[in-house]
Amino acid sequence: MAAVLEPYIYDGGMYKHGLILELLEDLGGYLIQAIPAASEVTLIMLIPEKDVHLVEALSTKLLGKLKKSPLTGTEIAVVSPTLAYHHLPHSACDVAEYLRRGGANTNMIGLARGMGRRVALSADYERKLINEHDIALFSFGTFSDCIINKKPKLFEGIEIPIVVTGGPDIKTEDIPNANMYIGGIGRVSHRLRKEPELEGLDTMNEMVSEMVDRVREEIAKDPLVVLPVRIMKEIKDQIPEIEHVLTPAPITIQLDGLRVKLPYDEFHERVENIEFDEGLTLSEVAKVMPSKMKNYILIKVQRKSEIGFVI
Amino acid sequence: MALETFVVESTISEEAEHYKQIVSDGLTDLVLVRSIDKIKVVITPEETLFQMVIVLRGGLAPIKISDFAQAGVGTFGESEVVIDIENEAYLPQLLVALWAKYGRINVHQPERKTVSVSCEYPLKEVPLIEEMVVEDPQRTLQSRLIDLAIRATPEGFRVRYHSLNGNHFIFVATEDIMKKEWIEQAHKMLDELLGGEPSGSSS
Repeated sequence: MAAVLEPYIYDGGMYKHGLILELLEDLGGYLIQAIPAASEVTLIMLIPEKDVHLVEALSTKLLGKLKKSPLTGTEIAVVSPTLAYHHLPHSACDVAEYLRRGGANTNMIGLARGMGRRVALSADYERKLINEHDIALFSFGTFSDCIINKKPKLFEGIEIPIVVTGGPDIKTEDIPNANMYIGGIGRVSHRLRKEPELEGLDTMNEMVSEMVDRVREEIAKDPLVVLPVRIMKEIKDQIPEIEHVLTPAPITIQLDGLRVKLPYDEFHERVENIEFDEGLTLSEVAKVMPSKMKNYILIKVQRKSEIGFVI
Repeated sequence: MALETFVVESTISEEAEHYKQIVSDGLTDLVLVRSIDKIKVVITPEETLFQMVIVLRGGLAPIKISDFAQAGVGTFGESEVVIDIENEAYLPQLLVALWAKYGRINVHQPERKTVSVSCEYPLKEVPLIEEMVVEDPQRTLQSRLIDLAIRATPEGFRVRYHSLNGNHFIFVATEDIMKKEWIEQAHKMLDELLGGEPSGSSS
């Protein structure tokens, strides 16, 4: 029986942070992402539930901070109807940044023709790209009339849970096809720094975490054959080229899969042939396909009901 | 804020309040607060309509070199004009203007607040240099005003009408076919803003 893993973020100095990584490895946890910044380092990791206190004790000793990050292991699409430069800074930038602090990996997607009321629309390519994520967060503006009556047509063809942010206070039920609405974050043309704005972002993180929990529960009913983090570890061990990928998250974990930032044509066979200790290869337990994002590889793990067992 | 009137109206008043912040950010970013006297914005999302009228503060005179510096003939024996700068704010524009007229090779800046220009007849050049215009605020104001209009309008409203008549600026934007009455409405808004004075519009 696999241990229950809890997501945590460690913020601390670079000095001796290797001790945390060693401890994590000994405990059987996983490092999802390490973000070094000058003399500081941020570690996003999954720790076995029973051993969290050990990591906590060590991080206190190193004068770092360990905090829970409920959004870890999710890839969220922050969709804005427009990312035009004369409207910078967009509130969607702050939204994406705040979700990242919660541990999520976010991708900002600015629709080519998403602006306006009657003329707003999304392209097939954009919909497919959004559907590769776990959750789509649409960042809308100030007017309730637009959010309720006009913008929901951008949700057509989106199969993942839809979270909407906007300025006014609206009930989720009033917005067709949205799964959650978060008010108080509308269109602004300054960075969100004031207290009520930051409170709005805090509420957003809480509500998105709720949404992530809902998806996790849904997955738990028909569990994944193998945990995405385990695939990540095997990729790191078996495809050393991943170490040379310079993007911030070379392997991005999703709730039901992962995105590997290696060229599909060159690497998909090696990814498909990744072996597990149980004697299975990855292609037997997951679908490996080209991603709509650049020429990356997208892996979606199959469910127990499809394969018949869990490893 | 130093504006005499700053009104933003919409169907729902809270949303108008929120939108006011967007316009206000635009004004601050583009340093327009001091140049604008009155501003009124009406947004009707149901009709996809954005109307904005602005009354500018007039009397922004062009900046001449004599406004911020003193020009005089340099030391005896050197054929040059020496400009002593009192306000450094216009130094970049000053250098650009001098380079254009006298050539880079003839313009020197021996120290921070002194610029010298080598020329054949310094005595003749001094009054010319004093009268040189280095910046015309009215011209940069226009481009900033257009920038404000584009920033404040919702992105999708691509069908636009604008008129700048003296100190009166009218901007109407929509997504559908522009209706004549919307433009007339905007002209009326301007009249109200001016307190009954005719807007002097040519359209």
